Amino acid sequence: MSRPVPSNTGRVLRMSYLVAGVAGLGFFVLSVLILGVWPGRVLEEQTRRMSPEHPLALTASEQRGRAIYAREGCAYCHTQQIRYLAADAARFGAPTLAWETRFDYPHLWGTRRIGPDLSREGSVRAADWQFSHLYSPRSIVPDSVMPAYRGLFDGAPDRPTQEARDLLAYIETLGQARQLAGPEGEARARAASHNMELMEVASPVLNASPAMTRRQGDHPQLGTVQDPGRGMAIYRRHCAGCHGRGGEGDGDGASGLEPRPANLAEHEYTRDRLSFALWNGVAGTAMPAWRDLPVRDLAEVAGVIRAFHGERGEPNLPAQVLELGARVYSDRCAQCHGEKGAGDGWAVRELRVVPTNFVAERPSLAESLRALRNGIEGTPMAPWTGQLSEAELSAVAYYVRGFYQPDGLADR
Amino acid sequence: MDRSSSQSSASVPAVETGLVYWHGLAAIVMLLVSVAFGILASTELLLPDLLRGSVWFSWGRLRYDHTQGILLGWLANAFFAFLYHAVPVLTGRPVTSVRLGQWLFGLWNFAVVLPGWMLVLAGFSQPLEWAEFPLVIDAFVVLALLIAIIQFLPPFFSRGLEDLYVSSWYVIGGLVFTLLAYPMGNFVPELVPGARGAAFSGLWIHDAIGLFVTPLALAVIYFVIPAATRRPIYSHFLSMLGFWLLFFLYPLNGTHHYVFSVIPMSAQKGAIAASALLGVDVILVVANLFLSLRGAGYFPRDLPLRFVGTGTMFYLVVSIQGSVQAQMPVNQAIHFSDWVVGHSHLAMLGFATFAAAGGLTHVWQRIPWARYNHRAMAWAYWLLFTGVIIMVTDLTAAGLVEARLWQSAAPWLDSVRAARPFWLVRTLSAIPITAGFVALLVGLTTGKRGAGMDAVRDSIGVEPIQEIAPRLAPALTELT
Repeated sequence: MSRPVPSNTGRVLRMSYLVAGVAGLGFFVLSVLILGVWPGRVLEEQTRRMSPEHPLALTASEQRGRAIYAREGCAYCHTQQIRYLAADAARFGAPTLAWETRFDYPHLWGTRRIGPDLSREGSVRAADWQFSHLYSPRSIVPDSVMPAYRGLFDGAPDRPTQEARDLLAYIETLGQARQLAGPEGEARARAASHNMELMEVASPVLNASPAMTRRQGDHPQLGTVQDPGRGMAIYRRHCAGCHGRGGEGDGDGASGLEPRPANLAEHEYTRDRLSFALWNGVAGTAMPAWRDLPVRDLAEVAGVIRAFHGERGEPNLPAQVLELGARVYSDRCAQCHGEKGAGDGWAVRELRVVPTNFVAERPSLAESLRALRNGIEGTPMAPWTGQLSEAELSAVAYYVRGFYQPDGLADR
Repeated sequence: MDRSSSQSSASVPAVETGLVYWHGLAAIVMLLVSVAFGILASTELLLPDLLRGSVWFSWGRLRYDHTQGILLGWLANAFFAFLYHAVPVLTGRPVTSVRLGQWLFGLWNFAVVLPGWMLVLAGFSQPLEWAEFPLVIDAFVVLALLIAIIQFLPPFFSRGLEDLYVSSWYVIGGLVFTLLAYPMGNFVPELVPGARGAAFSGLWIHDAIGLFVTPLALAVIYFVIPAATRRPIYSHFLSMLGFWLLFFLYPLNGTHHYVFSVIPMSAQKGAIAASALLGVDVILVVANLFLSLRGAGYFPRDLPLRFVGTGTMFYLVVSIQGSVQAQMPVNQAIHFSDWVVGHSHLAMLGFATFAAAGGLTHVWQRIPWARYNHRAMAWAYWLLFTGVIIMVTDLTAAGLVEARLWQSAAPWLDSVRAARPFWLVRTLSAIPITAGFVALLVGLTTGKRGAGMDAVRDSIGVEPIQEIAPRLAPALTELT
């Protein structure tokens, strides 16, 4: 292809391509400088100024857990980056600060949210919930599409392997550094922030997970049931995984949980008690808080739960049985369950799981006896068979049921 | 690989048809595997317990392999096949060495893609978008990219840069900048933590598309259009303007993947502005391409031309969509949603795949001994076209639904439930798409040997390569 090229134009063109070529390379370098290196320096400076003096680094186990999180592509469904947007902050908590990511080699920000953001997942849920959910997500969250990570377990959700324990250890670190930095940490970050506009987006709470304080305030008064069909649909969607379709505490997810989910069919609950548990979750158990559901829906669910037990005939007891029951109760039970059965005995503050408040919930006789005979695994409630006679067991089982104060008739 | 082409002539050296053939075949086989990963992943979203908790085929690992396979297995191989034809035609000089080509082929397929896939499935990977293969594989990618540069670029330089056709510039730019950007995306976030690393990651997410896929796809489009329409490109000035603007603006887009993050706002805003400008540049580029296609019809008889024409249309749509979705009000709603998954499929499956398929078919038809089945290819076009439209429309709608639910107070799982029907349609859209890719494989491996030339004769008429070459040499035709 030897064609004549006008020499002047050729020379000019050659120059122009040289100029453009250098410019092209220049723009690439420019992009690296202004979108990579410079932001990096700003972020490094920000990290230095805003970070608490002793930020939490990961332990060896947490590091291994992080590697598992990375290799399974967790970050491709769960972001770890809460944006400076009201909608993000309301759902997940305070937006991610640079210093919180300072030990992330490489970062796990993610670009797609199929599941929720996990930046503040640490200490939000009980370990048995996490393990059961990793082992078989749909047994806990019926409509979840998360893969089941059976490979991390030795055949059952309550037999996690080292890998599962490492992964959970890592998950528990998410948001913990910020939590530990406390109010002093927040103040320091705020003072050091160049961008007050961004800090203003910060959520009212650090951790806006529904299990913490998505909606603040006391548990609401639940109204009466309007639409039992809707209540059942919500129950099946959110509750049946653990509590079972009939409320008998035998859902698919129940086997890995300790304590086991409550047998709702064998308890009567006041509406207030259900509201408290739904609003706050149950401390020391896998029961999460359900504050992100509308209050109207919580009322419907409460109606469904109350209907599981329904109305049952109550036996009439001879007075001497009650007397025996009262004596045993005040000797053996009152220190935890309280003199009046309100779950407020003097020993409560020592306990990981709050004792049953018999004023607000009444176990069936069978359930009451079962708990006395077998104890409740995963709680401080121990079996009493060795220490109480059969007559005493029956008597106290009857007795505790007498504390219950049902909602007023007008309330039903 | 020594069966040489009959296209050799005094001015154009032999095309290494063997290397064209093997890269082309590898491209389609790897495409089918990548698609299988994608289908399995999308089915797992509908039936999460389908594989009963299988470790190797869990969703995350399939997702890693799907995109890496499309980028490195399908597109790169298809582009290499195209380059073995295009470089000699564009430069009048042979590629550096057949031996080197065999090394490149072996490295790319047997040291990068296949072991990369296996390692990811076995649990060795990197949780970084478009960089999921583990570090050891990245080392081989960099080596192979270096070999590709040695293989394909010297002919351009020995010929002289002053009268290069725009495709040549895209080839040079694409290969050089990919070599520069790849280590930045794959190695830097391992060394620089958290938000700082994410800034580099964001650059690479865009550079993988902007500095590797787009330039090479445009090189194909700019090559096939004049070769098939028998007219020079409408304006070489616009071609070159588009090229340089693209290379100036593309790298500056990266941070738009992390809008509203802790990365400094001025960097975010700069990237958003660059994203808007890029849309303007693409309008220039596509206007030039469409003007060059005047008279060819919407669905030209020449299938490669039809593929690249449709790819050009997708390029326009996806780029304008990209400019819009980088803007804060839009980004704040649709970021993290299926809208973006739709966008990336419009880019990779719409624009890049149509361009690569067009380029591959164009060069394949010109291998005198290769089989070619015109009917299967026509089926491939329509099946893919249908599939892409269904999938992208569906995912875009899904993204809008998710975005709306996320803005509301609805529980998170409501958005998952709402996405289900859309995910079903997305999985079903894999039927025409897979059928289209199978038809592509059938089209290139069945039929009469040499039927490609017949198809060319039947559509645009066969011309000696010497008559095509001048149309690809702008400076000469315009300046003299």
